Amino acid sequence: MAKLSRKCVPFTPFDKDLSKSTIAIVTAAGVHRKDQEAFNIEDDLGDLTYRLMDENVQSADMKVTHHHYDHADADKDINVVFPIDILRELVDEGFIGGIARKHIGYMGYTMRLKQMYDETAPQIAQEIDRGSRADAVILTGG
Amino acid sequence: MSGIPTVLITVSPEVSAQMRPPRAMYPNGFKIGNSLGKPNMVELQKEVLKDALNLLTENTRPGSFETKEYPEYGEYHEPTRVGRK
Repeated sequence: MAKLSRKCVPFTPFDKDLSKSTIAIVTAAGVHRKDQEAFNIEDDLGDLTYRLMDENVQSADMKVTHHHYDHADADKDINVVFPIDILRELVDEGFIGGIARKHIGYMGYTMRLKQMYDETAPQIAQEIDRGSRADAVILTGG
Repeated sequence: MSGIPTVLITVSPEVSAQMRPPRAMYPNGFKIGNSLGKPNMVELQKEVLKDALNLLTENTRPGSFETKEYPEYGEYHEPTRVGRK
């Protein structure tokens, strides 16, 4: 792969109509379904895995496992970091066309930044690129 | 891979800037943990999300941040600063 300069900004143009577009959420906020394995917060190096949620995921079935930000508000309302219900409202209003088939949560804290960059990030990109039907992605941290 | 347009909502713009995101929005003064706003403030969360999605259709400069004001959030939290060398 070509080496990018430090000032290079990766940018994919968006040439669609939002009202016909499908949106996915990818969040670093440690979000996952309650029936999925929690992120490992005992590991000081951080957890490099991610969790997949489908388009029918219910906010009441979600939780946060993350030890590097105060997620008390996300515990009350996951939409503050994973706005799935808000996306649904925007579909109902016709502001966007639909919700992607896959959404992703990972835990953004890591001491293995290179590994997250080289492995986790491309894996997440591939999940979105293949089978999510997303036209664009909303990224959130905490 | 065909490439995926993205837009980031960040509450730590100086930290996020180091990764040169293609499009990014900073809701001014929102604290970490409140990317879209406070719990159950649905209208505010909708406004924030719409503003972020609208960046996809605007002629933004890749790598730049849009700071948006949401007085209804009602608080101001200083974002994490990145140390100057």
